[in-house]
Amino acid sequence: MKWVPETRAFDEAFDKTGAPRQHYRPLVSILESFTQDEIERRERLQKLSLIDQGITFTVYGEKEGTERIFPFDFVPRVIPAREWERLQAGLVQRVTALNLFILDVYQGQKCLKDRVIPPELVLSRKEYKRELLNVTPPRQIFTHVVGTDVIRNDKGEYLVLEDNCRCPSGVSYVLENRNTLNRVFPEFFKYYGVRPIKDYPNLLLDTLLHTAQRSSEKPVVVILTPGMANSAYFEHSFLAREMGIALVEGRDLIVEDNYVYMRTTSGKQKVDVIYRRIDDDFLDPLTFRRDSMLGVPGLVNVYREGNVALANAPGAGVADDKSVYAFMPALIRYYLGEDALLPQVPTYLGLRPQDFAYIRDHARELVVKTTGDSGGYGMLMGPFASKREIETYVGQMKKNPGNYIAQPLIELSSHPTYTEGKFEPRRVDLRPFILYGESVRVLPGGLTRVALRPGSYVVNSSQGGGSKDTWVLASKDGA
Amino acid sequence: MLSRVADSLYWMGRYLERAENITRLLLVTEDFSTETHGLAEDLAQTAWKDMLAIFPSAQLSREVAPFAPLSMPYLHAFFIDGSNPYSIHFSLRRARENARSVREALTLEVFLALNEVFRSLEAYERKGMMDLPAFRDALGATRKGIFTVVGAIEHTSTRDEGWRFLKLGESLERSLRSALVLRAKLPALLAAEARGDAPLYYTQWRSLLRGLSSLENYRRVYGARLEPNLVIGFLLFDPDSPRSLRYGASIVRDYLAAISGPAALTAPARIVGKLHADLRYDDEALMSRGDFADLLDRVVAELAKAHDAIATQYFVT
Repeated sequence: MKWVPETRAFDEAFDKTGAPRQHYRPLVSILESFTQDEIERRERLQKLSLIDQGITFTVYGEKEGTERIFPFDFVPRVIPAREWERLQAGLVQRVTALNLFILDVYQGQKCLKDRVIPPELVLSRKEYKRELLNVTPPRQIFTHVVGTDVIRNDKGEYLVLEDNCRCPSGVSYVLENRNTLNRVFPEFFKYYGVRPIKDYPNLLLDTLLHTAQRSSEKPVVVILTPGMANSAYFEHSFLAREMGIALVEGRDLIVEDNYVYMRTTSGKQKVDVIYRRIDDDFLDPLTFRRDSMLGVPGLVNVYREGNVALANAPGAGVADDKSVYAFMPALIRYYLGEDALLPQVPTYLGLRPQDFAYIRDHARELVVKTTGDSGGYGMLMGPFASKREIETYVGQMKKNPGNYIAQPLIELSSHPTYTEGKFEPRRVDLRPFILYGESVRVLPGGLTRVALRPGSYVVNSSQGGGSKDTWVLASKDGA
Repeated sequence: MLSRVADSLYWMGRYLERAENITRLLLVTEDFSTETHGLAEDLAQTAWKDMLAIFPSAQLSREVAPFAPLSMPYLHAFFIDGSNPYSIHFSLRRARENARSVREALTLEVFLALNEVFRSLEAYERKGMMDLPAFRDALGATRKGIFTVVGAIEHTSTRDEGWRFLKLGESLERSLRSALVLRAKLPALLAAEARGDAPLYYTQWRSLLRGLSSLENYRRVYGARLEPNLVIGFLLFDPDSPRSLRYGASIVRDYLAAISGPAALTAPARIVGKLHADLRYDDEALMSRGDFADLLDRVVAELAKAHDAIATQYFVT
């Protein structure tokens, strides 16, 4: 089998001399022991099993066959125990601070008064929900489930790229990828002690139950989905099945006398906790978008009264904003009195005139993003864009500079990925999942997304990305 | 359970049962048509036209090539034409859509099996069906695939409310479709009695029984001799045959009772209970009156009423 070396970026599996890193040695030997025919046979098995199991995601804006499988690459990413411990500590710190920040934004706004972050920056965001000022969620938790995207630069340092405090998705692929790899390459697991992840649904349910009112004896927890047409529908259904709870749509819920009920075959049943996988704006047409057909009229008022818990709590999206991100190191210091354990990518803010001028003049070298979008939408990759594309984009920016941020292009780390008979380096990122219940816990590993197109830096599933199984090693000898 | 989920499971049961019915009727009708085409083309023609009475809003879209066997347009329309609301393709797609919308209420085995049979159907559609043997082969494989789904339901589902709604849909569809098959075939068959050609005549009764999966079951009770009155009695009133109307009504009644609890008497339970009582206690009078068209029309109407009552009772809250 041929391994194509990476020339620019930090490679996860091989060092600069081309030798496999210590924790990749067994894996490389096992893969080299297979013939190409054998590998291809396994790969076919694996693809078939994904299709048969209907492990799919939905692509927007495509007419034919909106259901697609999420490509899976069988070469796993391996994270040594000590490396993970540092990463985990940084994530716990970050999520703790994020939650304190959101709590503060809706309760007192001390950080704005103390000018840790410019007030107008926070208050002008559409994710900031004025309607929820002074509403405290149960147990003061806003961010029950967070997906923080992490990348590695050319030195191999982990950097935080963005936080997802609204409805981060992908965890179902994490669990299914492990299942698939267990089945298709059982040999791998003989030589590695990989930390298990299958307990996640249980941890998630615990996290959700933790927010329920103490008075409810047997709290009813449901998942609220926008429905089958949503790109993450598979995941919603998967999690409902794994937790053994009902998957509801907006039309299944009804508000009466300031409580939420679901419509059942034997009448109405009270709901205590809603794990909602639907954006704030669509949650309640009486409070937010009036044209929302997906939400539940009156839901936010029930939440305000404390009669239902919502996870994540509405308004949490204010922390996802890409310009708020720039202030995270300061916010961590402000709330926790500690330096951030995880560095992040330097960020230019469109709303600062001098930054804006810099972005305008250096767009060729920068990655420019809109502050509110996710999923790789609305982005300019300066170094790869044509002159015309840059001019059009900069023209757009001038209309609303505050809506943009820019960052230098980071050489994302690469990882050997199987492509047509060879192992080629492809860029990867990592989305660990952090649960905030009784304590803050991190699922070992997370979703490694891989840009399958050669040379591409974009790992999003909607734009040609795939995923890998991600291992955190149990033993410490590999560190 | 959620009304929407109950609704979807009920329809999943109906569509799955419908797909199996269509598959079986196509296989049986194709046999009959091949056997009789040269002997009595009008009979073969009628057998295919009956499909349009059993599945009332079905459509035949395809133009037929000259010299193509009589069956081709029907097989095409009822098997792989996804736009025909009574094709196997359409029914399985709907069954799968319903399953997909309530995947969390099903076991993995059920979903996998259903996904697989639907995917193989899509492959047939892509490749196209060239000739009758290809159709037969694919129909046989599809029928087996449907049985795998039914078997997965039987073997892996917990017998909770969701399962009861699925089985309610299945049993109501089965009774309704059996009644429609009998309504389409019985009157003509009884009128044809005088015409004489005995072997051909018995071929028709045999294929009526086969069309309702009842030939072997009938033989177990009455032996190989096909006596029209015995066949009719068997298909209408047999207490044990899964496709007799009496048995079907009792099963629908039982699932309704299991859903509502034995004490409650709901609107759909009243309708089906009465229908069952007629078939159970009035069998002799109904047989001797011999107006089967009227009886079958009534059965179809009552089952349609039961369906509406089920929707009002459980799905619209």
